[in-house]
Amino acid sequence: MLRVVAFKKAILAGVVGAFAWDATSRILSVAGVPVLDLVRELGTLVVPDGRPIEWWPPGILAHALVGAGWALFYAYFFWGRFRWPPAIQGLAFSAIPALLATLIVIPQLELMHLPEHAVRLDWRWYLGGLEQTKLVGLLVGHAVFGLTVGAIYTRPVGYPVDRRPNLRCAARRNRSRPRGKRTQRDGAFIFATGIECSYPTIDRGRWRRDEMDGIRHYDVWQQDFALAREIGVSHLRYGPPLHLIYDAPGSFRWELIDEAMADLAEYGPEPIVDLCHFGVPDWLGNFQNPGVAPALSEYASAFAHRYPWVRFYTPVNEMYVCARMSALDGVWNEQLQDEAAFITAAFNLTSASVRMTDAILTARPDAVFVNSESSEFYQPCCPDPEIEALAAIENERRFLPLDLLYAREVSDAMLDRLKEDGWEDDYRGFMARKAPRRTILGVDYYEWNEKLIDQDGRKRALGELFGWYVIASQYWERYRRTMMHTETNRIDASDAPRWLWRQWHNVQLLRRAGVPLVGFTWYSLTDQIDWGIALSEAEGTVDPVGLFDLNRDPRAVGLSYFHLINMHRDRPEYRECGALMELLA
Amino acid sequence: MAGFLSAHGYAPGPTQRPVLAGAISGLIATLPAIAILSAFGSLAVEGAILGLSTLRTVGLGVPVMALAGALYGWLFGRAANDRRGGWLFGMAFGFALWASGAVMLIPLFTGGLAPAGKAAIGLFLSLVAWGAALGLLYPFVHRPLHESVEKAAERTGPTTGTRRMDRR
Repeated sequence: MLRVVAFKKAILAGVVGAFAWDATSRILSVAGVPVLDLVRELGTLVVPDGRPIEWWPPGILAHALVGAGWALFYAYFFWGRFRWPPAIQGLAFSAIPALLATLIVIPQLELMHLPEHAVRLDWRWYLGGLEQTKLVGLLVGHAVFGLTVGAIYTRPVGYPVDRRPNLRCAARRNRSRPRGKRTQRDGAFIFATGIECSYPTIDRGRWRRDEMDGIRHYDVWQQDFALAREIGVSHLRYGPPLHLIYDAPGSFRWELIDEAMADLAEYGPEPIVDLCHFGVPDWLGNFQNPGVAPALSEYASAFAHRYPWVRFYTPVNEMYVCARMSALDGVWNEQLQDEAAFITAAFNLTSASVRMTDAILTARPDAVFVNSESSEFYQPCCPDPEIEALAAIENERRFLPLDLLYAREVSDAMLDRLKEDGWEDDYRGFMARKAPRRTILGVDYYEWNEKLIDQDGRKRALGELFGWYVIASQYWERYRRTMMHTETNRIDASDAPRWLWRQWHNVQLLRRAGVPLVGFTWYSLTDQIDWGIALSEAEGTVDPVGLFDLNRDPRAVGLSYFHLINMHRDRPEYRECGALMELLA
Repeated sequence: MAGFLSAHGYAPGPTQRPVLAGAISGLIATLPAIAILSAFGSLAVEGAILGLSTLRTVGLGVPVMALAGALYGWLFGRAANDRRGGWLFGMAFGFALWASGAVMLIPLFTGGLAPAGKAAIGLFLSLVAWGAALGLLYPFVHRPLHESVEKAAERTGPTTGTRRMDRR
């Protein structure tokens, strides 16, 4: 699948566009402008000598069908490719059907109206073209069609926050029952993948992005779990849709995931449950709300009691990224661009993570916490004190949520900033806390994680300069926690197998260096939607980063991961991963 | 469109057999196309233009459409497996065949002779229907032709993307 296409919306746009064209033609006709009446041309193919009342219905039906087809074509191949207003995108697109109509379709319609079965044409007929007035009418008609389609067909993915998607995910279908029960080797190295599950809001909190909806996981969750088992992963990073489940304080719609969780419990892979992934339910607002932490604590507690067999948790995914995108870069949720708002979001997110952890431990004292965070690194481009200072700030800021979570003191400069914003008491509270023993620091890595601060103070993606080994080592040196590679992928599908093996070699090297590293993850199981633009708009563009595409056909990297897992999982050092065994003991 | 397909990872991958799947689907899709051609009398007209009997016209058309199906599989690659959009891609391909083959090439090779009237309508509808059927069938035909993950994975080892270094 290339695009997530909203079929109903596209068909509606095409049909309305066809009617708008016809209405325009009639108005121009009444005004005395000679135009090509395409509906009549089509209708009289069916009713050759009929009256308007006879040819109009089949004519407009054919016109609307063709319009719907073109609108779908627009939705697949054109929509969102240019940063223009939607109606203008539609207008530009209409040049394609207009050209085909002028050169091929209209002359052929003329032939179809002839009483003969065959005719002999000469080149003059081909080059004769349309009368100018008719040509203008045709172009105007297409322009009206394009403007209408463009104006109607927007946002093919996601939904308004106040409207729930019509989920069909609850029922488990028996026809694809897995063959074997879950067989879990405790303490074996974790080979994982994940179901991409981000659900932030955009458009000032009015539009919900929901990746699980976009990739159709709600419809085909059973198939997705089967594919994860086929690849051979032992663990699955899985984020139930918090925004759909957590209805109101004390109210949870567990029926949305009961069947899916039962399937994982019975057949595997073992889930690493991701409780908060870049968004909160509508009624909680956004990450500036201090009520987020107690509310999510209630959710975590209810979850742990509902599914007591779940052992691995990620209470809040990538806190730094979430705070940054929501409150500093202005892309998601509160969409602020403010240092103080970033710190507020970071404190609220970390506070949520801590309280959720405590709540889960009450229900499941031996729970394991995988605190996934995006590894980042900023390199100053040049020996300019200002640029170096900017890089230093960024390199300090990337650690803030983890520093709070793992009670590691921040730098003096950062502490001054926290005091200035009135966070000193909360900071001291975090520093007085001891993180649970069964905690894994998850370090995510993508090729854009290493950045250069250029002469103008702007960020540029450096690509894989130092690599995961070096960046993860910085996190190891800082926190000295058991670690896991919790996310990686490559947006260029053809290069993904090479990237997978490179990441794996980094993991092996870090293990050999003595770092307690317990797992590796290719993220995600399937392709994702709009991560190329950080979910900032509802485009529906598919990023081919998955082990499987959205038709659920394996990608080359899926086969490579299968190969990698088979090559390593039964080797003694992976069958019994000392660091994980120690952690679970 | 090709650029867009390419950017979105449409290369089929080691488990898939797009050309074979396209050829088989193209072959099966000729059934509704022949039915439409017959219903509109286009088959006889087409045969007359080409100087062939109806039977020979069908005999020539069937392998050509299988070949066209193979071309579809090769061109659209991974995207052709889309169960929701396949019919649309197939229809677009059928339209392109009509525009290039029936509209341009036939008159070119027959001294300007072209079907008209009902026969022309039938020819157009048959190719669009053939395309829609091709696109609809393709994912279902392709699925059982896939090579197993186990077998295909053997070719995706740790040397993927590396270069052998010559001894110096």
